[in-house]
Amino acid sequence: MDTVGWWSLVRFAHVTGAVLWVGGQLALSLVILPLARRLLDPGPKDRFTTAAGRRFGILTGTVFLPLQLATGWAMARHRGVTWASLAEPGYGRTLAAKLALFAVVMLAAAGHGIAQSRGRPELARSLAVVSLVGSLGVVLLATALPTT
Amino acid sequence: MHSTLDDPAVGPPRPPSRFRTSGRRGRHLAAHALVAAWALLALLAASDRQTLPVARWLAIHLFLLGAATTAIVVWSEHFAVAMLHARPPARRWSDARLAGVNVGVAGVLAGVWTDLPALTGAGCALLVTAVTAHLVVLVRLGRGALAGRLAPIADYYRAAAAALVVGGVLGWLLATGRTGAGQYTGLKLAHEHITLLGWIGLPVLGTLFMLWPTVLGVRMAERTTRVARRVLSLTVGGLLVTVVGLTLGVRPAAAAGMALYAAGIALTGHLFAGTLRHKPAISPAAAWTLAAAMAWLAVGVSADLGLLTLRPLTVVRDAVGSLLPVLLVGLVAQVLVGALTYLLPVVLSAGPKERATLRAVLERYWPQRLVLLNAGVALLALPAPGPAGTVGALLAATAGAAFLALTATALVRSGLALRRETGRSGGAGRPALWGIAAGAVVTVLAVLVANSGGGDGSSDVAGGAAGRGSGATRTVAVALTDLRIRPARIEVAAGTRLRLDVTNTDSQRHDLKVEDGPATPMLAQGEGRVLDLGPVTADRRAWCTMPGHRAAGMSLDIVVKRYGTATAGSGTATVGSGAATAGAGHSEHMTAGPGGLDLSAPFSAGWRPRAAELAPAPGGTVHRAELHAGSKEIEVAPGVNQRMWTFGGTAPGPTLHGRVGDVFEITLVNDDTTMGHGIDFHAGSLAPDRPMRTIRPGERLVYRFRAERAGAWLYHCSTAPMLQHLGNGMYGAVVIDPPGLRKADRTFVVVTSEIYLGTPGSAAQTAKMRRDTPDAWVFNGVAGQYEREPLKVKAGERVRFWVVAAGPSDGVAFHVVGTVFDTVYKEGAYLLRPQEAGGSQVLDLATAQGGFVETTFPEAGHYAFVDHDMRHAEAGAHGTVEVTG
Repeated sequence: MDTVGWWSLVRFAHVTGAVLWVGGQLALSLVILPLARRLLDPGPKDRFTTAAGRRFGILTGTVFLPLQLATGWAMARHRGVTWASLAEPGYGRTLAAKLALFAVVMLAAAGHGIAQSRGRPELARSLAVVSLVGSLGVVLLATALPTT
Repeated sequence: MHSTLDDPAVGPPRPPSRFRTSGRRGRHLAAHALVAAWALLALLAASDRQTLPVARWLAIHLFLLGAATTAIVVWSEHFAVAMLHARPPARRWSDARLAGVNVGVAGVLAGVWTDLPALTGAGCALLVTAVTAHLVVLVRLGRGALAGRLAPIADYYRAAAAALVVGGVLGWLLATGRTGAGQYTGLKLAHEHITLLGWIGLPVLGTLFMLWPTVLGVRMAERTTRVARRVLSLTVGGLLVTVVGLTLGVRPAAAAGMALYAAGIALTGHLFAGTLRHKPAISPAAAWTLAAAMAWLAVGVSADLGLLTLRPLTVVRDAVGSLLPVLLVGLVAQVLVGALTYLLPVVLSAGPKERATLRAVLERYWPQRLVLLNAGVALLALPAPGPAGTVGALLAATAGAAFLALTATALVRSGLALRRETGRSGGAGRPALWGIAAGAVVTVLAVLVANSGGGDGSSDVAGGAAGRGSGATRTVAVALTDLRIRPARIEVAAGTRLRLDVTNTDSQRHDLKVEDGPATPMLAQGEGRVLDLGPVTADRRAWCTMPGHRAAGMSLDIVVKRYGTATAGSGTATVGSGAATAGAGHSEHMTAGPGGLDLSAPFSAGWRPRAAELAPAPGGTVHRAELHAGSKEIEVAPGVNQRMWTFGGTAPGPTLHGRVGDVFEITLVNDDTTMGHGIDFHAGSLAPDRPMRTIRPGERLVYRFRAERAGAWLYHCSTAPMLQHLGNGMYGAVVIDPPGLRKADRTFVVVTSEIYLGTPGSAAQTAKMRRDTPDAWVFNGVAGQYEREPLKVKAGERVRFWVVAAGPSDGVAFHVVGTVFDTVYKEGAYLLRPQEAGGSQVLDLATAQGGFVETTFPEAGHYAFVDHDMRHAEAGAHGTVEVTG
C-alpha cells in the first residue's frame, strides 16, 4: 500500500482544517485583537474587531465546518465506526467525547457571534475563549485517537 | 481592640470607600463559596466511602486541604493585616495565591484519585509554592508595621504556613509512594500531626485568643499577649519535636513533644476559662461552638499523647486513623462553623441591618445543630460497635449539611445584595478568565469521558482471544495484611479462570484493585470480597489503592506460566486452553499453543530460520557426505532453547537430494561423548546388520546405499530407544526425484516432527514421549519459524512442497490455506496429476511416510500452511507463504 495514499490526503485536509481554525483563533485572540485594542481608537477598533470576527465566522461556516464534517465523516466511515461503537471504551468513546466537545465548541462559537451582535461584549469574549480552549481540547482528544 | 475584627458594631468603624468595601465583600463571597464547595464535595465523598476506593482519603483531604485550607489562607491574611495594622497586600497577588492553593489542591486530589503521580506531584508543588508565598507575605506584613498588641498572633499564622509546607512535602512522599514500608508509619503520623495540629491547630489557637473574647463581648485579658507568646513556643516547639521524633521513629521524643503541645492547649484553656463572665455573649452560637471545638482539640491531643506514651507506633497509626474523624469533625468542622457564624455576617454585610439578617440566618437552629454535631462526634470517638459509628457519622453529617445550606443561603443573599448595590453581575469583569475556566472544565470532562470504561483496546483483544472456554478455575485466598498482600505472587497457567478471595486482616482499611480489572470496595478489618478475574492470559498486577500503600509494598503479581511442564495438573489445564484457541480456525496469527509456549514471543537476536528451499541435486551419480552425530542447544520455539541430539548439528539433519540410481556414501561420525548412535536410510535397501549398527562415541562408519526408487524418504538414528533418539532430533530427509519430474519454480522441503522439552532422556521427557503429549509440533524443527520468516514466492509460480513426517509418533495432514493441490505424489506414486479434473486439499502422511504436492498461488497474499490436525497447527506446525504479485 502506498505510504501517501488518498486517505492520507483526506486526513491531511482534516488536520489542516483544524490547524487553520485553531491557529486562526489563537492569532485573533493573542495577536490581532489585543493590538487592535491598543492601537486603534474606540470607533475604528469596534468596526475592525466586528469585521474580523464576522469574516472569521463566515470562513468557519462556509469552509472550515463543512470540510471538517465531511472529512471526519469519511474517515469514520472508512474505519468502520458505527453509532454503537461510539459507546465502547477506548477508540469509540474517545471519538464520541471529541465529537461532543467539538459540538460544544461550535455552540460557543455561535454563541459568541450572537452575543457580539446583541451588544454583550464580555459574554462574547468569554464564549470566544471557551471556544478556543475547547478546540485545543478537541485537538488533544484527536491526538489520543489511533491513526485511521 | 475590637476594631481588629473590622466589626463596626463593637469598635470604631473604618471609613472605607464604597468601592473598597464592595471589593472586599466580593472577595470574601467568592472565597467562602469555594470553602462551601469543597466542604460539600467532602460530604459527598464521605457519604460514598464504601464504593469509591480512595473515598475516605478524598473526604479527609477535600475537607482539610480544600475547605479548611482555603479558609485559613483567607482568614490568616485578613487577621494578620488587622493584628499588625499593616497595609493589605496587593489584591491581585492575594487572588493569585488563593487560586494557586486551590488549583494545587485540585491537582493533588485529582492526581491521587486517578492514580497519576505526576499530577499529584505537580499539585503538591503548586500548593507548597502558593503557601510559601503566603508565608512570605505574612512575614513581610510584619516589617515596618506598627505591630499592635496582638502581633504575636501573626506568628501563629507564619508557623502554620511553614507547617503546611513541611506537611505538603511529607504528603507528597506518602501519596506518590516514595517512602519504603519501613518509614511509612512514622512519616504518615508525622504528616498527620504537622498538618492537623500545625497547619490547622495553630491558626485556630492563635485566632481564638482574639475571637474568643470578641464573641463573648468582653475585654481581652491583660495577660493574653504574654500567654499567646508562651503557648506559641510550647505548641510549635512541641510539634517540631513530635514530628522529628515520628519521622525518625523515636516514640518517646514524639510523646514528649505532644506533652508540650498539650501543655500549650491547657494554658490556653485556662486563659479562656478565666475570660468567661456571667453576662450573655454577643454570639452564643459562636461561643458554644468554639468552646466545643476547643474541648475536642483537648480530647484529641490528650488521646494522642496517651497513645504515643503507651503504645508502639504501628498501633498509634491505626488508632490515630480512628481518632481522625473526631478531630476533623469535632475540631476543624466545628471551628469553621463557630468562626464563620460570627465572622461571615461581619465581612459580607454592608451595614448593621444586613449583618443582623445574615447572623440570624447562620444561627438558625444552632442549639440543635450543636447537639447533633457533638453527639455525632462523641459516638464516633467512643470505641463502640459499627452501627454506633455510622449513626454518629450520620448525625455529624446532618449538622454539617445543615450549616452548609445556611452558609449557601447567606452567601446568595449577600451576593444578591452586593449585585444590587454595585449594579454589576458577579462574574463580569474578567471574561477571558471565565472563558478559560469554562473551556478547561468542558475539556477535562471530555477527557474523563474518553478515558472512562477502563482498559485500552489491546487488553480487550488479549482477554478475548484465549479467554473462551478454558475449563480450569482457580480460587486463591488473598490476605491484605500490614502493608503487605499475601501471597505476593500467584502463578497460573495461561487461560486459567482466576478468582481471588480477598480478606482484609489488617486493622487499617484496604482494598484490592486488579490492573484493567475488578476492584473490591474499601474493606474494614475482617471484611472480604471475591474478585473474578476471568481467564488470565497475560501477567497482571493488583494493589491497594490507598494512597502510598502500593509503594509501601501492597502489590500482588499474577504471573502466567510460560510453559507448564512442571505438573500434571497444569498440563491438563493447558491442553484445555489449546482446545479453546482451536476456535481461531484459519486465523493467520496463532499466538498461543498448548503447553503454554508463547509463539508470539520474539526469537532471540541473531536467530535465523532453517532454509526450506530444496537445493538442486548435485551433479554426478555418487554423493558423498559426512554426518556428525552429537548434541547441541537449539532454539526450537521463540525464546525457548532445548538441547537436541542431531545429525550434522541441526534437527532435522541435512536433506540429501539425488535422482533414481544415484549412490549415496555417507560417513557417520559419533561425536557424542556419552552414548552410541547409528543411522537408518529408508531410501536404500540393504541388510541392516552392519550399516545400521550402533557405533560408540568417537567411532565412525560408512553407510553406502543406492537410491533405486524415487520418493521422499526418512533417515533417522537406528539406536534404541529410537523413540528418544528421534524424539530428540535425530532424523532427516532424502529426496529422490522421480524420473520425468516436471520443473517447478520453487521447491521446498518440510520435515514434520514433535518437540519434547526437558532434559533429553530424562524420565519426565520420556514420559511425555510415551504419552504422545509433545510441547510442540514443528515444521523443520522450529515452532512457528515460517510464521516469523515466511516462505516467499510469486503469484502464478508452480510451487512444490516435499513433505516427510519424521514423528516420532504423529503423522501430518499437510494443507496450504487458500490453495488446491493439482499434483499429489505420495509414497512413490502419483495420486493426482495436473491434467486430471480432481484436486487435493491435504497430503496425509503416516509417521515416516513422504511425498510431495504442487500448487500455484492465484494472487498476492499471505497463505498459511499448516498441519490440519489443529492441535498440531496451534502448537507450532504452521507457517506462512508470502505471495507477491
